[in-house]
Amino acid sequence: MAVPILQINCITKFFGGLKVLEDVSFDLMPGQRFGLIGPNGAGKTTVFNLLSGVYSVDSGSVILANQDITNLPIRKRIGLGLSRSFQNIRLMPHLSVLENVMMGQHCQANRITEMIKPIGWTKNNRWRQRALETIKDAGLEVDLNSTVSELPYGVRKKIEVVRALMSKPSVLMLDEPAAGLNPQETIELAGFLRGISDSNVTLLLVEHDMNFIHAICEKVVVLNFGLKIFEGTPKEVNRNKAVLEAYLGTSAMESSGVT
Amino acid sequence: MLGSIYVTVAVAFTLTIGILNFLNFTIPAIFMITGVIAWAVAAHWLPLGVDGGLAWPLAFIIGIVAAVLASLIVERFTFRYLRIRHGDATEHAIPLVSSLGFLIIFENLVLIAFGSEAQAFPEKFKSDFYIGEIIIGLPQLMSLAISLLVVAFLSWILKTTNTGRALRAIAENPDTASLLGVDVRRIVPLVFLFSGLLCGVAGVLFVVNYSDVSPYMGEEVGTKAIAAMVLGGLGSIWGAIAGGLLVGLLEALSIHFFGADTVDVAVWGTLLIVLILKPSGLFGASRIGKGKL
Repeated sequence: MAVPILQINCITKFFGGLKVLEDVSFDLMPGQRFGLIGPNGAGKTTVFNLLSGVYSVDSGSVILANQDITNLPIRKRIGLGLSRSFQNIRLMPHLSVLENVMMGQHCQANRITEMIKPIGWTKNNRWRQRALETIKDAGLEVDLNSTVSELPYGVRKKIEVVRALMSKPSVLMLDEPAAGLNPQETIELAGFLRGISDSNVTLLLVEHDMNFIHAICEKVVVLNFGLKIFEGTPKEVNRNKAVLEAYLGTSAMESSGVT
Repeated sequence: MLGSIYVTVAVAFTLTIGILNFLNFTIPAIFMITGVIAWAVAAHWLPLGVDGGLAWPLAFIIGIVAAVLASLIVERFTFRYLRIRHGDATEHAIPLVSSLGFLIIFENLVLIAFGSEAQAFPEKFKSDFYIGEIIIGLPQLMSLAISLLVVAFLSWILKTTNTGRALRAIAENPDTASLLGVDVRRIVPLVFLFSGLLCGVAGVLFVVNYSDVSPYMGEEVGTKAIAAMVLGGLGSIWGAIAGGLLVGLLEALSIHFFGADTVDVAVWGTLLIVLILKPSGLFGASRIGKGKL
């Protein structure tokens, strides 16, 4: 059996006295498209924040490609191939599209020469070149010199995904990538994400739109009140009683006759 | 004309304010340290006390190095310390006050070491030439060229390098920058290094133009540079340059037409009028933060 690219082992997190995650474990296989769902407040974004290093876990471990990254700082995790987007778009509003995308490469520039070498000096600088290629591959058709704050929501959302791709991730975590997109944009995004996954990038999505999850994900983990209540295929999710209860509540299910 | 010195110091202020949102009150002292250290080394080779000073170019370099070191000390004990202790530096008032403390400490250390009197720099730099009836000081002309070159070089670094982009990202949002893997703690000292460097260059230009150093030489220049920065538009490098030149010009004109006593009234009066009419400064962007740096 193949080795998981990302292993989440029994992670637990407290915010003060509140236990927001309890013993959550799951494994991601290379190239897999994985969904993380659950009602509001279930702890999905907390999982992302723990994996990417925004918070530290209170117990448990995170293993990326056989390397324990549980206590590494954010930039090291990005360098090792774990990259993410954010629920509320976190772009630099007054930098240009190209500069925002190039921020995603920051962790690749480790040597001092790479930090101080001027990017605009030669036209075919490899940093800029790679940013331009990734933007082109993503089908992002937008004036690269326009500042991000001038762009529509859907475009900004896509820029964030492109930026996350710039660090050459092996695991790409997207926090509600389809939220706020219109149906057409959602379909395009799904195609785009499948393309990324085909190049052997593992996807971990937090998403509310179940149609989107069905269209993309091969496997789903459901969280509720910080506990993992289900892991399986998207088809199985729809038939699972515990999941329906978590989303709809017991009384709602009884009155609607679901058993 | 002090314009070029105002420009350089105003840009030093602009860097810490634009990137870190931190009004670094120690900047006048760092400017002063350059001058005083350069004088001490050139006149007496202090602190070693060997007879006969060092050649002036070396003295200037040592002065600038001292300024950069002083600036890094300030970073370590105001900005970084508070950031580590309190998680972020959003409490702007605290580092502001501690940088004010550093200003007073640096001034008084110099006062204790060298006394409060103005000291004359051993080397004189005077070579004026005339265009018609106008006297042009070569040092002044060089000062303007040097300060504009240094500032242009810095803003080019900010525009084109990975480091510069990371710094501008911190200026936009330090939290997001660190989420993208920018090592904020390692990169913030660079801001202080740059601003120390600018103060050092300004201090050298001051010595070249006026030949006098004193523990208080930074105060007037510092306050005028703040006025210049605000006049030009807070947080914008080109605004600081324009503001610095404008303050220099206002000084020269008010001395010429109304006498030396009216200088401060002219400068600060203009600043107040501009701020009432256009609170973002003359060349400040219409939207706050837009086009920062």
